Amino acid sequence: MNDVMGNTSQTDEDGNDSAQDERLTYRGIFQRLFIRPEIGALIGVVGLWVFFWAVTVPFGTAGGTASLVDFASTPLGIMAVAVSLLMVGGEFDLSAGAMTGAMGILVIMLSLEIGERGGAGLNLWFAIPISFAFALLIGFFNGQLVERTKLPSFIITLATFFVLIGAKLGFSKLIVDQVQVGDIRNASGYEFWRRIFASQWQRNDHQWSQRDVVFLILICIIIALVLFAVAEMQFSRRTETSSSTSSGTSLIISLTGVAGVIAGIAVLHSTDGISGNTLGSILIGVGALLGLTGFGRKRFQPQGSIGAISLNSSVTRWLIAGVGGIIAAVVIAASMDASNTANLFFPFTHQGLRATLFLACIGLGYAALFISLAAARRVSVATRSLVLLVMAISMAGLAFFVRSQSTSTKFRADGFSVMLGVAAVMVIWLALGLMFSERASVDAQADRLGSRLLATAGVLTCAAFVIRLLFTLPSEIEAEIIPAKFSVRTLWFAGFTAVAVFVLGKTRFGSWTFAVGGNKEAARQVGVPAARTKTQLFMIVSAAAWLVGMLLAFRLNTIQANTGNGEEFEYIIAAVVGGTLLTGGYGTALGGALGAIIIAEATLGIPSARWNSDWRFLFLGVTLLLAVLANRSIRTKAESMRR
Amino acid sequence: MAEPHLLELENISKYYGNIIALKGVSTFVNAGEVMCVLGDNGAGKSTLIKILAGAHQQSEGSIRLNGEEVRFDSPRNALASGIATVYQDLAMVPLMSVWRNFFLGSEPTRSLGPLKWIDKAQAKSIARDELLKMGIDIRDTEQPVGTLSGGERQSVAIARAGYFGAKVLILDEPTSALGVKQSGVVLKRIVEARNQGLAVIFITHNPRHAYPVGNRFLILNRGLSMGSYAKDEISIDDLTQLMAGGAELEALEHELEAAGAITQADMTTSTD
Repeated sequence: MNDVMGNTSQTDEDGNDSAQDERLTYRGIFQRLFIRPEIGALIGVVGLWVFFWAVTVPFGTAGGTASLVDFASTPLGIMAVAVSLLMVGGEFDLSAGAMTGAMGILVIMLSLEIGERGGAGLNLWFAIPISFAFALLIGFFNGQLVERTKLPSFIITLATFFVLIGAKLGFSKLIVDQVQVGDIRNASGYEFWRRIFASQWQRNDHQWSQRDVVFLILICIIIALVLFAVAEMQFSRRTETSSSTSSGTSLIISLTGVAGVIAGIAVLHSTDGISGNTLGSILIGVGALLGLTGFGRKRFQPQGSIGAISLNSSVTRWLIAGVGGIIAAVVIAASMDASNTANLFFPFTHQGLRATLFLACIGLGYAALFISLAAARRVSVATRSLVLLVMAISMAGLAFFVRSQSTSTKFRADGFSVMLGVAAVMVIWLALGLMFSERASVDAQADRLGSRLLATAGVLTCAAFVIRLLFTLPSEIEAEIIPAKFSVRTLWFAGFTAVAVFVLGKTRFGSWTFAVGGNKEAARQVGVPAARTKTQLFMIVSAAAWLVGMLLAFRLNTIQANTGNGEEFEYIIAAVVGGTLLTGGYGTALGGALGAIIIAEATLGIPSARWNSDWRFLFLGVTLLLAVLANRSIRTKAESMRR
Repeated sequence: MAEPHLLELENISKYYGNIIALKGVSTFVNAGEVMCVLGDNGAGKSTLIKILAGAHQQSEGSIRLNGEEVRFDSPRNALASGIATVYQDLAMVPLMSVWRNFFLGSEPTRSLGPLKWIDKAQAKSIARDELLKMGIDIRDTEQPVGTLSGGERQSVAIARAGYFGAKVLILDEPTSALGVKQSGVVLKRIVEARNQGLAVIFITHNPRHAYPVGNRFLILNRGLSMGSYAKDEISIDDLTQLMAGGAELEALEHELEAAGAITQADMTTSTD
């Protein structure tokens, strides 16, 4: 009895005497990425986009994307990012929505002489800074009141919310005797500020015949970067003593690979149309594999033993479920009439029911395969490779199936090549896993390099798609493509998000924000100025509301007295969907931006799919519920205290 | 007494309205010593810490740091004078990573023009090294503090105080929520901090934790000082007696003995 007790307390102990903490099993790159708060939102953004790309016309076109990012940016995105910061700091601001409209009305009233009693008639050069100062003042007021009274910010900002609603309506009626004020076009200084807040980029005015070549090269670089980064974070590096491979052979293999990739790109470029894509893709895939093999031989520790294939019960169960799901999906799809697309995605029709079932079977099938993969990881390298092979084959098979069945070029060209690409990446990953051994402990240097490469890949991805979206090919002009207009609002959104990500993740103020949201007393104990930090967070939200107010005023020219009212809950939903904890202390700014994009996708996608837009609320509710449940499990995991 | 003590309290009293929370407390602590403050619940221990930590101000009496009279009007102020307090539950932000907690409030920064950001690599490696010095190996300083055990969290707080140049380290009941083994780990840290030259003020209501590590003992009972003793002036039994107000505990002990005679017999048979 005593012996047993002794042993358990041994494992419960600090483990401070042993050099390594044996209770920590080392997590692979994917497990480490999956605990990031914004990953769920990122999957949501991509998943929803793919869904709506498949079922609607505008998704994936330049015009559709332009309106999607514009809708996501103002007012939702900018506000969601600011509200995320505030919520990480442990507070709410219910007045944020009403404040956006209030700031628009304020700047119009300051800059015009309208109505019987007249506005102030100031030049915009004065009106805009004054309204900004006023916004900061409201934020300061909110923050100080919350700090000094120790009342919940919910109550304080609810009061501010009503004050702002009343003031907007009251002053509008008093000064112009209407419930809307405008027109900012008549203000002096308008031309200059319009360029700042409302300029547009007309896609068809900017042609670039080499656009797609650049795009393709960028995509190849991105895939190479991501594969290298993930390999760097997953496999253990060769130690000095064990590097005995000849670098000549490695170099030759790598160069052959690079040549293959270049040849593949050339093939892809010279044959436009569907048939050449396969050859080009295969060349690129094999080339990338060879390149990485040669490089990896030099860099990573070779795999020792891959173990035996052992399909224990959970691996087999999920594998069968996954393959079964995909086969069921294929059978369902084969029974559809491919030429009839009228009611394709309305679930209560003959055709729509099959389409919905098809997507559901594929989604659930791959989910099951991923679970199987996770289980196989714990068994042996060989087992994991087998499951990966099944996934790759099924993905490739599905790609060819879709190409043979579908009548739409969208699926036959883009959808096909993306699916084939995913299958190729799986094969490459499988091969690398067989060749190199996984890292079993922290390697800060490799992780830093890996995350920098991933960040570079992220930036390049954005650049690639921006290039593709902003420029037109001459052939597209000839085909009279509908012009798309990109607004500067998107740029403000991206800039604001970038600054917020930097501030929250990299600066002292960001650290303090997490601290005051997570445990205010502890933060104060170690000298964090908690009251000042919280007040500044409220001021950031009101500054964002001011920015949105300006963007709205210059877009709409007239602002309604009720603009923005009630939108604050959407900001909070976006923040929570982005992984921010309702109780504070956890979250990211990027998550808020992604949450806003999810809401924008649903808002624009549902009517584009010819569903009634009322379904949007059902969607919002379900998404919020899922996000909150996911958050809850994160919190319990992170906070599970061992005493 | 040629050299002034590192921290000396003289006749500290604190009144909340007509309530006397603390009256006439005097003691001192030197560098490389552990001074234990012992007392039952409501003895005035927390009032004393709060005065030393700058959260409250004394109503009467004086605090001298290296012979100079000081008065702390905020926790930041006390911290700046080298007095760091580690509270039992408030020490950490559980959802934040170990390194962020370690440097919270004093993050090392790098700058480029007006841009200033936290030097994450440096912060992480310092946090790791400092914790290693305390004997804890945290390989991944990115893990949230909430995943650490109670003893580890206390150790992080102690290491942090030491790193930021605290001369006096106040520990508020660091062992009260911990199991036997964990308490042992924390006591070891206290000795390590003392050996590194810190003056440690260790607040506890457990004389068994205090006696092995303490050089000097201040006993409080119902807001009054029952005296300040060096280790060779007092035994552990006297300590326990003084803490509970002498006679009361004696009476209690007799009662317990009478009731425990049977249980004791039970226990000896069961362990055999």
